[in-house]
Amino acid sequence: MWTRKASFTFVGGIALLLVGMMISNHQLMIFGLSLIAFITVNSWLAGHGDVEVSRTLSADNLYKGDDLYVELVVTNRSLRRTQMLEVYDNIPHEMKLRTGLNSMRLNLGPGETARIRYSIRCPLRGHFSLGPVSLRFRNTFNLFMEEMYIPHHSDMIIFPQVTDIEEAYIKSRTPKMYTGATTLKNSGPGTEFYALREYVPGDPFKMINWKASAKTGDGTLIVNDTCRDAVTDVYILLDSRDVSRIGTVLKNPLENNTIAAASLASFFLKRRDSVAMAIYDEKLSYLQPDTGDKQYFKILSSLAGVAPKGNMPLQAVTNSLAPRFSRGSPVFILSSAEGDGTAPHAIRDLVGRGHEVVLLSPSSVDFERLVSRIPRMSYEVLKIERQNRMTALAGFGATVIDWMPDMELSQAMLQARGY
Amino acid sequence: MSARSRRIRRGALLAGFFGTLILLVGVVLSSYVQSGDSQLSAYDDDWNDISAFRRDVNDMGIQTRSVVSSPLLLKEIDDPGNATFVISGVEKDAFSMPHFGESGFIEFDEPDGYSTAEIEAIVDFYKANGTVIVMDDFGFSSGLAEAFGWQFNGNQLYDSLYAPTLNSSFVWTCLQIEPCGMSNLTVDPATHKSHPLWDGAHPCALAASESIVSEEDAGLCAHHLEGGMISYNSTYQILMNGPTILENATKSSKLGVSQAIASTSRDASIDVNGDGEVMVGQEQNEETPDRAASIEGNFVVAVEICESRCESSGENMEGRVIFVADGSVLSNAMYDYEGYNSGEYTDGTPAVEMPANDNRKWALDVIALALLTDTNGSLEPNENALVIFDESRHSQNAFLGESYNMIYWILVYFTSESMAMLVLFVALFIAFEAVVIKKKDPEPWRHVFSIIYYGFGDARRYGYYAKSNKIKQVFLSRVRNNNALTREEFDAMPATELQQMIEDPVLVKFVFENRDYSLEQLVTIVKRIKVWGKT
Repeated sequence: MWTRKASFTFVGGIALLLVGMMISNHQLMIFGLSLIAFITVNSWLAGHGDVEVSRTLSADNLYKGDDLYVELVVTNRSLRRTQMLEVYDNIPHEMKLRTGLNSMRLNLGPGETARIRYSIRCPLRGHFSLGPVSLRFRNTFNLFMEEMYIPHHSDMIIFPQVTDIEEAYIKSRTPKMYTGATTLKNSGPGTEFYALREYVPGDPFKMINWKASAKTGDGTLIVNDTCRDAVTDVYILLDSRDVSRIGTVLKNPLENNTIAAASLASFFLKRRDSVAMAIYDEKLSYLQPDTGDKQYFKILSSLAGVAPKGNMPLQAVTNSLAPRFSRGSPVFILSSAEGDGTAPHAIRDLVGRGHEVVLLSPSSVDFERLVSRIPRMSYEVLKIERQNRMTALAGFGATVIDWMPDMELSQAMLQARGY
Repeated sequence: MSARSRRIRRGALLAGFFGTLILLVGVVLSSYVQSGDSQLSAYDDDWNDISAFRRDVNDMGIQTRSVVSSPLLLKEIDDPGNATFVISGVEKDAFSMPHFGESGFIEFDEPDGYSTAEIEAIVDFYKANGTVIVMDDFGFSSGLAEAFGWQFNGNQLYDSLYAPTLNSSFVWTCLQIEPCGMSNLTVDPATHKSHPLWDGAHPCALAASESIVSEEDAGLCAHHLEGGMISYNSTYQILMNGPTILENATKSSKLGVSQAIASTSRDASIDVNGDGEVMVGQEQNEETPDRAASIEGNFVVAVEICESRCESSGENMEGRVIFVADGSVLSNAMYDYEGYNSGEYTDGTPAVEMPANDNRKWALDVIALALLTDTNGSLEPNENALVIFDESRHSQNAFLGESYNMIYWILVYFTSESMAMLVLFVALFIAFEAVVIKKKDPEPWRHVFSIIYYGFGDARRYGYYAKSNKIKQVFLSRVRNNNALTREEFDAMPATELQQMIEDPVLVKFVFENRDYSLEQLVTIVKRIKVWGKT
């Protein structure tokens, strides 16, 4: 591609040549021809973008707000100099450059390598990709320029933030539901002592009770049998309907809900509970209850990709999933409870099935106030109406937490005691 | 529409566009790639070209050049007084734009053949003492001839003075005031007379008495050298092939004095309707459409025009234009009839011999007259002597020769003709403007952090929530919730009981009285509702 400078020079050369011919001025013609010749010769001396690029990330998965360190290695594999080579690593506009620059102007000789290091902050959750690498090479006089892309991508997932939740905050009126691994008086894998029994092939050696074995006197090996640990199933229902987008990009009910879901999942999975999660927007996505890091990764990955859309009512979710819920297991509903007339009935059904229902409800009116100038009186009436709704939902047996925008999750959980 | 189908559609559109463009350019260029047989070219050696004349000129030590683009280049000649411009057949018309007329207004009518600017260039060359020889018959020379007050008739001339061994198209003429006569199938030498203008004034005539040792010393008069002496004779018996005639143009010219130097016999006629038969009468009508010299007088076939007097030569030589009504008068077959008869220009010896003629003698005498101007009596040509052949109106045999000529012509035309120059200036201006406006260098790459996104609520409902009925509904819901009543229970409740539940007389009045409230009153009510039930 011709640069503006080259276009001016060439058109100027032609103009000088023609004007020189018009007025029979040889000096002008020669000058014009020189300019044209200069452009012509330069067009043969363009740079190139025949480089090899590789990118290294400090992590593939991060939490929202974390910094990511990137190193881009550019190597000239050609036998010619690159001349003026501009390298630009495309990063999503949602990420903020913290240190360094994601672009560099290079003039690499054959085989030479350059490294571009920079760090970015990821303020938004989601699935992102770094790349491609854009190259723009020019010749020495900046007369000709070409652009190309090297389709080198690095995918990464930005998980929602996970905050610490103190155990006391989520204790309910039925404490045994939240003790995590609860002991059942049956023999099986676990940590608590249950009884002594004779060794059978297959038992791990660490279970052998050497003192008890010695006491038998006949060489019989005795092992410590343990109580089987059982886990509590925890269900999280995340409202990702379109109505949950109200607010700013960083502060809106959906963002709060994802933080709450990630934090709750982290809390319960650390306690070896089994966590299930359902996300409802225009459709229902359901993760079966499971334990462990794998389940944690699944939940975080799902939460990273959540976007507000659709308008599925809560009762449709509970009608579909409630039969699969373990009896008596706690259910966390993360929803602003806006624009869903089925919420009271859904909660009533869940409570009726014996579930402990906690409704963590970001106050959408207050999120809306961050972006809209709501008249004072209308705001007060809206708030009263919301309080009415919360009161009604509490009246159906749910523990209702009204979560204000400027409130940390742990603070919000404190309100659970109030209901 | 998916990105893939968009790409396919865009690709198809681009292919269609460039295909059409290539087709159009190809059609235009194909007509210039290889055209038909060329003739009358100074650089081809066929029997109908004029290369023998060019060779003779070269052999006399005169530079020869050709103009393949446009006669506009005649402006660039440094010494027109020592130059001769030879136009032999104008086979092509050329594109020309409207031009600025003498009145300063734009004129749209353009002559055939040469554009107004080209004719002006030729006239300027003539005014600068240059010599122009225009030989044409059915071509596009009339525009040029009209500038000098003459025009080519464009219909074929037949005369009883023709070469019977060939055919009636080959017509004899003599450069003299009275036409020569015929005797025994050839021109009667007894009727030969001297050239009306050159006799005694021609440089070769002036050197006739001098003793010349060698052909080199004879210079441009070498063709008159006989026995060490120049024997100049101003009689010219010219053979023409399919000539037409010259007539006075409707507009007279002030470019000089003109004199017919050759005419037909009284038996000559013009085949006006081109049917090959000559039908003449006292009146020109459908039955007798053709014209006869016996009725109209002798037809003119050659004219000489000079600025003031054509009898001048040497240092007093003025600009001179000679029109001959036959484009092929210098063709190799007639000019070098000996070579033609020996088969030099054809495959084998021709069946019919070309009769001897003075075409060569005349042409070389014109050159001698034109170029022996400031030689101080020497017959050697001046070192600046130049003969220029106009090849711009001939078809080219060379591959892409026509395209080359076309491009060269455009270049010369647009840098020489005033209107074309104006157009070119405008085009250059627009090109510069286009570069300034359209040509943008890409912006430097830089990362822009941007997460400006807001999810707005429904602002239309704000007004609704400020209405008294909505406030009343919200309040009653609060009353119902606080008292743990179902909708049915609440609806069935007596009014007095509800009043007792509310207790606050202001809110009771608000619930039970339907009236308009001012903003201040509603604010007060909402404040009371907020605190209601908390005490």
